[in-house]
Amino acid sequence: MVSGAIALAFLPLLLTLIIRYRYYFVLFYRAVLVRIWKDCITGLSREERAYQYVLTHSTPGDPDSILDSFDYWCSKVEYISNIGPKKGKILDRMLMEQSPLTVLELGAHCGYSTIRIARALPLGGRLYSIEMDQTNAAIAEKIIRLAGFDDDTVELIVNPSDEVIPRLRSDYNLERVDFVFMDHWKKCYLPDLQMLEECGLLGKGSVILADNVLFPGAPKFLRYIRKSGLYEWKIHRATLEYSKGIRDGMAELVFQGIK
Amino acid sequence: MPRDSLIASDNDADITLEFEGGEEGGHKERRHREKRRDGSKDRRKRGNGRRRQGSRSVERENEEERVGEREKERKRRVKKDQEAKKRDKEEGDRAQTRSEKTAKAKKNIKNEKRRRSEKEGEAGERTEKGKKKVQSAKKEKSVNHGTKDKTHEEKKKKRKKVLETSSEQETSEEDSEDKEDSEDEEVKPESLSPEELEKLKEAVDDKKKLIQSLRGKPWPMKKKLVTLRESQEFLEKYEGALGKGKGRKLYAYKVMMMKKWMKFQRDFENFKTACIPWEMKIKEIESHFGSSVASYFIFLRWMYGINMILFGLTFGLVMVPEALMGRPYGSIPRKTVPRAEEASAMDFAVLWDFGGYAQYSVLFYGFYSNQRAIGWLKFRMPLSYFLVGVGTVAYSYMVVIRTMARNANESGVGDDNSFNFSWKMFTSWDYLIGNPETADNKFASITTSFKEAILEEQESRKDDNIHLTRFLRVLANFLVLCCLAGSGYLIYFVVRRSQKFALDGLENHTWWERNEVNMVMSLLGMFCPMLFDVISTLENYHPRVALQWQLGRIFALFLGNLYTFIIALMDEINVKRDEEKIVKFNITMWEASLYNGTVSENFTAPPITIHPADVPRGPCWETMVGQEFVRLIISDTMTTYITLLIGDFLRAVLVRFLNHCWCWDLEAGFPSYSEFDVSGNVLGLIFNQGMIWMGAFYAPCLPALNVLRLHVSMYLQCWAVMCCNVPQERVFKASGSNNFYMAMLLVILFLSTLPAIYTIVTIPPSFDCGPFSGKNRMFDVIQETLESDFPAWFSKVFSYASNPGLVLPFILLMVLAIYYLQSTSKSYKEANVELKKKLQMQNEENKKKNKKAAQKALMDLEEARKVALESAGHQRNNNASYQGQQAREMQPATRVPRTINHRSHGNPGYLPNFPLQNETMIRRAPSLQRH
Repeated sequence: MVSGAIALAFLPLLLTLIIRYRYYFVLFYRAVLVRIWKDCITGLSREERAYQYVLTHSTPGDPDSILDSFDYWCSKVEYISNIGPKKGKILDRMLMEQSPLTVLELGAHCGYSTIRIARALPLGGRLYSIEMDQTNAAIAEKIIRLAGFDDDTVELIVNPSDEVIPRLRSDYNLERVDFVFMDHWKKCYLPDLQMLEECGLLGKGSVILADNVLFPGAPKFLRYIRKSGLYEWKIHRATLEYSKGIRDGMAELVFQGIK
Repeated sequence: MPRDSLIASDNDADITLEFEGGEEGGHKERRHREKRRDGSKDRRKRGNGRRRQGSRSVERENEEERVGEREKERKRRVKKDQEAKKRDKEEGDRAQTRSEKTAKAKKNIKNEKRRRSEKEGEAGERTEKGKKKVQSAKKEKSVNHGTKDKTHEEKKKKRKKVLETSSEQETSEEDSEDKEDSEDEEVKPESLSPEELEKLKEAVDDKKKLIQSLRGKPWPMKKKLVTLRESQEFLEKYEGALGKGKGRKLYAYKVMMMKKWMKFQRDFENFKTACIPWEMKIKEIESHFGSSVASYFIFLRWMYGINMILFGLTFGLVMVPEALMGRPYGSIPRKTVPRAEEASAMDFAVLWDFGGYAQYSVLFYGFYSNQRAIGWLKFRMPLSYFLVGVGTVAYSYMVVIRTMARNANESGVGDDNSFNFSWKMFTSWDYLIGNPETADNKFASITTSFKEAILEEQESRKDDNIHLTRFLRVLANFLVLCCLAGSGYLIYFVVRRSQKFALDGLENHTWWERNEVNMVMSLLGMFCPMLFDVISTLENYHPRVALQWQLGRIFALFLGNLYTFIIALMDEINVKRDEEKIVKFNITMWEASLYNGTVSENFTAPPITIHPADVPRGPCWETMVGQEFVRLIISDTMTTYITLLIGDFLRAVLVRFLNHCWCWDLEAGFPSYSEFDVSGNVLGLIFNQGMIWMGAFYAPCLPALNVLRLHVSMYLQCWAVMCCNVPQERVFKASGSNNFYMAMLLVILFLSTLPAIYTIVTIPPSFDCGPFSGKNRMFDVIQETLESDFPAWFSKVFSYASNPGLVLPFILLMVLAIYYLQSTSKSYKEANVELKKKLQMQNEENKKKNKKAAQKALMDLEEARKVALESAGHQRNNNASYQGQQAREMQPATRVPRTINHRSHGNPGYLPNFPLQNETMIRRAPSLQRH
């Protein structure tokens, strides 16, 4: 059998791996282990727990306080992959610059990014938020209402994005989307983008912001936007939400159309 | 015209200029002498020459054809000239009047038909007229550049028209006449007088100078191109006319030879590059990964060269003579596998451990016999063995130190931090990069380094948080020390345990336990650097500094491991020597019993011949040491290759092919592809070499093994780098680190020769194996040689020379010499620094001066402009000439040449415009460069 000394020689390797990838281990612990543990204990889902916390710790009608309590819960208590405060600043800035009238959000999750976008919308702007999961959508709905946004500003659509996008034009009378925020399944980034192109919802100057393109990462999506000459694009480099060491990025695409 | 061809033609022009310059004088003379020679021969030659010139660049082929046509035309015309001269006197007056008419007709492009009978006569006159025209044109040229250009262009146009017409209808006579008319304006060298030739020559010179100075002219590019083309055409046309006869031929020949020579040189360079082993591979890697990775491969190649020489020495002077001329296998006990091991001597496992037949072969020390001279050559084997051992080490020292000195010269100027940002600005690009991805990385790294440098500057001014970084650095070093101590202890523990195993008998233990030492050493050598790398991120050094720290740490680790290993070996040597004493005693007993036995039986019988395999023998510790080193090298090589295959290749394959079906981006995220670890690889190489130096005395096969290893790893690593590594994220130049490697190599060389020398000097060799058996010490072989192979006086001299009374003063002298050299080099360095300062001062002064001069020039220019404007206003009032003159007089010093030109308006001589301007240009250019 392998002797103990040889096994000990692997100790530096183990240490190296642990130190180098410590953020990933921490993330794994917080996002997976703690979640399973709490699920077992409380019998509630993660989103429901978050909602409970937000409900008890923030002032209703004040989006900022809701966002703050969300951030606190996600960084200190448990982990939900919202867009987070740092990348959220980029999102805010872009919304301020563009001041889009029609915004499409893919993947509302529990409403954090929805509130962020709705907060920054100009007067008369309208946000269409698509969420696939029923329970998540219910919580998102509650949180949006809690933040004080009504149906006129935020339209929550509970359906998978690949079913909704082709029907946007007919059902919701959308001619053109000024701003698209993608934060749902990373594998759906590319097909959804292509679907948006096919439906002609993107006009010249439409901005598409895709979160988490580096981690967990959407390589096919990035490859596609590199190849297709339809977009002017750049990647905002940042770290993963509520974590310091994992690098992540948001892809900003500006639709140029066919020249 | 594409730019390439333009450049090429430009170069051509340069070459011609160079060679024309040399032959100028010769041309003149020849021109005078051969002027009235038979024309047709001349012309043929000229045609040839022109054809050669034309063939220089492909794009001139068309022109060559045109030239050929022109030649035909000219021939015809000259014939007519000769006829015409006969009739000149007869038809003088009438021709004059006609010629005036033709002159008018010339201006109309559609020429009227003329009678053929009168044509010849007119032609003669026309040539004369043409000459005059050329003269006047020349005057204009020399007077004013602009007008010259214009006239030249006009000529060009006309000639072009002529060419068109000639290509359309060559045979029709009307057209040929027309052509003659217009061609009259061109210069016909064979019909020119010496003075005119002079003028023509001057014009040609002017053109040449224009071409030369064209690059510095403040004209728009289009104009430059046009003038370049025109002047080249001009040159091509008239230059040929000036040279004649032999000179022409020689010239053409010379140009041709020049071309061929240059081509040959280029080919030879290519050939030379192709001859350097792996040069292309390394260049390719360099272009992909930057120079730091390439420096590793260059180092590897250098190492390979050294090992080739070491291998040549040991192989040629030790192994081959012993194998060919020494006693064959099985003749004496040391050359035979013992009876107990015979059964398993050919097993692969045993051979793989370098036991069995491998142990009893030329590969190891024990096989060599202690005969003084072997074979018919009387080859002194023990002496050769000793000298080769010493020679390899001496040669390695020499090479390493020489290379270090050379490198030190290159980097002697040293880094100074005074111009941090300008260094970054102007020297940070790695021009050897040829891969877009690496270029991107380099670009990113440069920008980040700029950011960091700016931040650093700011922080250094703020000077806060320095305590944190200091604390972190101390902490990192502490962690590294802990790690080093741990690994040292682990190795010590393992070695001690292995000794226990050895005492128990190795057969009772598993393969793992037997190879524990090597395994643990390799694994620690592999994994600890990774840990150091992780720890070093704490320190936040510049990558180059970080690399050096990393190198230093790994160096310490390897050194610690190696020395632990050696200490363990020393223990084992002592054990073996104790064993040897017992065996020695036993052997005498055994021999005595043997002989006693025989003696008792039979007196006269010859001593019993015992098969050498049965003779008891001592544990040859030298062979044991050699075997240990060989095993270490083998296991080290294996681990390197296996890490390469698993850590790089397998990882790359997994990342590449699992990326399609994985929940995160494998390429950009967690495992990613590996980077090439320069420091680890370099150190591996260096320590490998250290082991070779250490063990080569006891195992002559080591250099051969190392050559093999380096050869394989060259190909394997080249492939692995290109196939599974990605360029480093922070690409940096490795220019400074080369000497660092060398210094480490030197240290390792010293540290590895230390134990070898220690064993050679202090431990007596085994009594029954190796070339020095039977001697008290290994170096006794030299004494022995001196006594028996050299004349008596030599040994006497040697003994005197080795007298401490002589040696000590000599050493003292050497120390003094070293001290002197060091102090002189120090003073030189200081002088260098002083000179540098001086240069800087001078530069600054020049800068100031220049600024002043430039400001003054600017002011003058503006003044002149004002005056010019005023004068323009005056011109409208019709009194321009006087004012203009005044304005020009008032122009500043920089404009002086031009005023001179203007003054030379009235000069009848051909005072060329360009030389003067050129002179100013030349005078100005260096002053510009200086700053």
